[in-house]
Order: sequence, then structure tokens, then C-alpha cells
Amino acid sequence: MARFRLLPDEQQARSPLLLLWREFSRQHSAMSGLVLFILFFLLALLSPLLTPHDPYLQNDTLLLIAPSWSEQGLVQYPFGTDDLGRDMFSRMLMGARYTFGIALITVIGALLIGLLLGVLAGMSKGLKSSVFNHVLDLALTIPSLLLAIIIVAILGPGLLNTVWAIMLALLPQFVHSIRNAIAEQLNQDYVTAYRLDGASNWQVLTRIILPNIWERLTVTATMALSTAILDIAALGFLGLGAQAPTAEWGAIIADSLDLIYVAPAGVALPGLLIFTAVLSVNLVGDGLRNAMKKRREN
Amino acid sequence: MILYLLRRLFLLVFVFIALSILAFSLGYLFPGNALQNFTGMTDIPAELATQLTAEYRLDSGYIQQYIAYLQRIFSGDWGLSFASKQPLLQEIKILLPATLELAAYALLVSFFVGIPLGIIAAIKPDGIVSRIISTLAIAGYSIPVFWWALLLIMLFSLGLGWLPTAGRIGVLYEIPHITGFMLADILLANSQHQTEALLNALRHILLPTIVLATFPTTVMIRFTRDSMLDVWEQSYIKTARAKGLNRAQVLYRHGLRNALLPVIRQIGLQFSTLITLAMITEVIFSWPGIGRWLIDSIYQRNYPAIQAGLLVISTLVISVNMLTEILHTLFNPLARKR
Repeated sequence: MARFRLLPDEQQARSPLLLLWREFSRQHSAMSGLVLFILFFLLALLSPLLTPHDPYLQNDTLLLIAPSWSEQGLVQYPFGTDDLGRDMFSRMLMGARYTFGIALITVIGALLIGLLLGVLAGMSKGLKSSVFNHVLDLALTIPSLLLAIIIVAILGPGLLNTVWAIMLALLPQFVHSIRNAIAEQLNQDYVTAYRLDGASNWQVLTRIILPNIWERLTVTATMALSTAILDIAALGFLGLGAQAPTAEWGAIIADSLDLIYVAPAGVALPGLLIFTAVLSVNLVGDGLRNAMKKRREN
Repeated sequence: MILYLLRRLFLLVFVFIALSILAFSLGYLFPGNALQNFTGMTDIPAELATQLTAEYRLDSGYIQQYIAYLQRIFSGDWGLSFASKQPLLQEIKILLPATLELAAYALLVSFFVGIPLGIIAAIKPDGIVSRIISTLAIAGYSIPVFWWALLLIMLFSLGLGWLPTAGRIGVLYEIPHITGFMLADILLANSQHQTEALLNALRHILLPTIVLATFPTTVMIRFTRDSMLDVWEQSYIKTARAKGLNRAQVLYRHGLRNALLPVIRQIGLQFSTLITLAMITEVIFSWPGIGRWLIDSIYQRNYPAIQAGLLVISTLVISVNMLTEILHTLFNPLARKR
């Protein structure tokens, strides 16, 4: 590095984001995760347009039709129907909106609140920040399911109420990671230099700190997203979250549980979808982490 | 070190005070009136109500009420359960060991499976073995626990008929409740069918343990692997190699000791997730632990039970958190300076 170069070579002339993408796209697992992630995202956005049947329409002439790959199945109902004659395929598609889409919204909400609180905690010093951290530590120790139980006990069961619980449960890890990232950035020389140039706290935050920590935030957010999907599904399964007719994947599993001998697809398919959704998020998160590490090494 | 412990202790007290305030305020936040929520009695005659109001200081300010609440907690009077009309503390004493037993076995499995696999995966990070382990780890990390439990029940209990689906032990065996830990109780019971009972209990605990251990094991694998790879890059490892130690010696004397330090901490951080998963596992396997009891309580609108459950479970998680952090600091002089 000691050699003076007027023009940096082609590799280093690229923007950090492009370098990150180069490292990311080299990993096959991360790319397949990204493709799946985009698929689920589109599904969550467009599922009402894509469903071949109304997911809530009960058809008593078509009860418990087997999936179309078996002998008794109908081609119009690829995954068969449930015990009320509702099309399973449409319900699965709708489920992406509830389980995946709402998890995404939950994480974005938690991220924004976490950003606000994390910046407040990271930029403040002394007693205020110490008290704040200890309150956070307490929140971190209450298991998310217990938090959900308490909120459900106060507000009653429902998807929206559990969303609050999950948001609350995710918040501490966001605040922690943002606060640590900011503390790390504040120690850097370029922050001091920028301050000597007369930058205010706000300018330091928006021009230097945020651009430097957003990649780490994305990784934290992917981890939180996988937790959120699993939590929403688990709460739906336990009957605390999404209520019976809602086509949420966890709730569908709970619905089909008593028919597991007659129609095992009703339990197997939504579970597989939850698994795939979480897997895609984790693959993207891992890929990002690896890419960031590799970029730093080069 | 002593100063550090004192600071931790102070923090612990602070956290417990905050926790008890939260638990106390739930008596008012939950639907229904506060007297019912605190006592756990649903229909209270009028004269008893006035007497209890005086005793619980519900007629005076919130601070007096809170102090009275704390006194009741410490004297062991936690109120009654709406559902069973039994003292809550008694119920929890019976239920908690079952949860602890399950969580402890799952943690043990995660140590003995996760850490070695993580080390193996770190030895040749791009090798085929490492890739297989990493793939399994990310799959185990992504699987929804209730679905995984259902799959295993379908396969091993309903399909092959090898293992029972529910409970801690067959109904034929009568094991007196001594410690609350099933395996220990069987060994203490000294009955003539001890071996059969033990085998039966082991068959019952196998599936729940596997299900619950999946998540912590994969966390251990990933964490040990990352931590090992980090340590392996350090210059003291190169120094040790240059001095002539072979790979196994370096691994044991320098690698493991440094790489496993953050792993200790990770146990504390993951413990609250483990409890969440344990609660779901208990529901599916009808395991008579505190998690299933709490989820039943929400179906039954059993508010005093939820309040007590919050206190017990959070205390457990906070203690484990604190313990692992202190252990981490004890083993790692670098962390003490901060």
C-alpha cells in the first residue's frame, strides 16, 4: 500500500456497494436465497391477484380433495382442498402475505424505532445512556413468546396484537446493535476530523455514521426477519396470533392438525413454506455477512 | 473483579425491581378487577373482599400496594390459580423442574454435538465435510420448531411406532415427586421396576430433547465455527505453530480456549429463545412443564398464573444471563477492564 498510485486499479475504483454485490453474487447459496426471497416478496405483494380461487370461499361439494399429484386430485386444485372445501393453493399463496409480509412490516417497524432509540442511546453519554441500557437488558430477557402471552392477555388474541409483541421482542437487539455500531464509529479518526471541521452532531450522524452502519443493520434485520417469521407462525399455530379463518401458514397447520391422517399435505405444505421462507432469509443474511467479510479482506 | 461483581449485583437488583414493577402493574393491566387478579379468587364474598382489600392495601396508593405485593412475593403467598384454585407457588414448584430438565438436556446435547461439529467445520472451511455441516446447521436454524416436532412424531411415533408421543413417563409407573427431575426421581424411588421405568422415561424424553436441541445445536455449530475461524487467524496461533506445536496441540492449548469464550456468552444470550422454544415443544409433546401451563393459562384467561409465570421465567432467564456473563468475565481477563 506504500506505493503511490495516481489512479487506483479497476478493482478498487468500484463503489463499496458494487464490491459487496460482486462478493455476494459469487456465492451460489446466497444467490438462490435471494431469488427465493424476491419470489416470496412478490408473492406477498401480489398474492390477491395470483390466487386462482377465493381462499375463503367454502365449497361443500369439494371437501378434502387430494392434491393433484394423487389419483383422486383435480387439476384445478393443485394442493387439494381442506375440510371446508377451501382451495389450499390459494390459501398458501395468501399465507405469504400474512406470514412473510407481516413479518417484513414488523421488522421494518422495529428497525425504525430501534434506529431512533439506538441513535439516542449511542449519541448520549453518562447516566442517561446507562439507565437506558439496563432497561433494555430487562426487555432482552423476557422470552418473545412470554411477551406475546402477556400482550395477548391484555389486548386479546389477534394477528395485530402479536405483531406488537414481536416488535417489542425484536427491538432490544436492534437498539443494541445500532448503539454498538455508533459507539464504534464515534471512535474513528474521520469522525474527529469531521468534528474539527465544525460538523454538528446531526451532520456527523447523517453523513458519516448512518452510511457506515447500514450494511450491518441489514444483516441484523435479516436475522430479525427470520425470527419474526418463525414467531408469527408459532403464535398462529398456538392460536394466539392469526385467528382461524385467516390463511396464515401457522394457523393453517393448526387447522389441519386434526386431519393429519386424512390430509397430511395440509400440515406438510405450510410447514415447508415457512421453512423455505426462513431459509431464504437466512441464506441472504449469511451471504451478506460473508460478502462483507471478504470485501474487508481484499 | 470484586468491583465488577458489585456492579453486576447492583444491576441485578435494579432489573429485579423493574421486573417486579412490571409484574405488579399487570394486575391492573389485565382485564377484570385488580383484587381478583392479585388473589386469584373469582367470586369473593363482600365481607372477605373488604378484608382482603385492607390486607392487600388496595385502598391506599400504588406504592403501598406495590410494597404489599413484594412482601407477599417474598413470603410465598403468590395467590391462587383461577383454573385449579391451588396456590400458584405450589403449582410452579411441581412444573418448573420438568421444564428445567428438558432445557438442560437440550443444552447438554447442543454442547456435545454442536461444539465438536463446529470445530470440525472450522478445520477445513472449504472442505466437503464443512459444507455438509454448514448446510445442516442453516437448515436446522430455519426449521419452525412446531413443524419439526410434528414431522418427528409422524415418523417415529405414528409411522414406525418406536417412541411415545406425549408425557414424561408411561402411566403404569408411579414415581413419587422428590426433586421433580424425572430421571433423578426414578433413581431415588428405589422400586423394583427401576430399570424399566428409567428406559420408559428415556424413551419419552428422547423426541422432545431432539426437537428442542435443534436450535441451540445449530447456533453452537455456527458460533463455534465462526469463532474458531476468527481465532485461527490470530498471530498467537502462528507463533505457537512456529514454536513447533502440532495442530492438535495448538487447537487444544490456544485455539479452543480462546474460541470457546464467546460461546459461553452465547448460551446466556440464546437462553430466552430456548425458553420460547421449550414452551412450544411442551405444548406439542404434552410435557407437563411451565410453558404448557402458561399457554393453557392464556386459553383459560388465568391471569394470576400468567403474572406468576412472568416472574419465574424472567428470573430464570436473568439469572442464567448474569451467570454466563460473570463466567465469561471470570475466564476472560480482557473483558474485565471495561
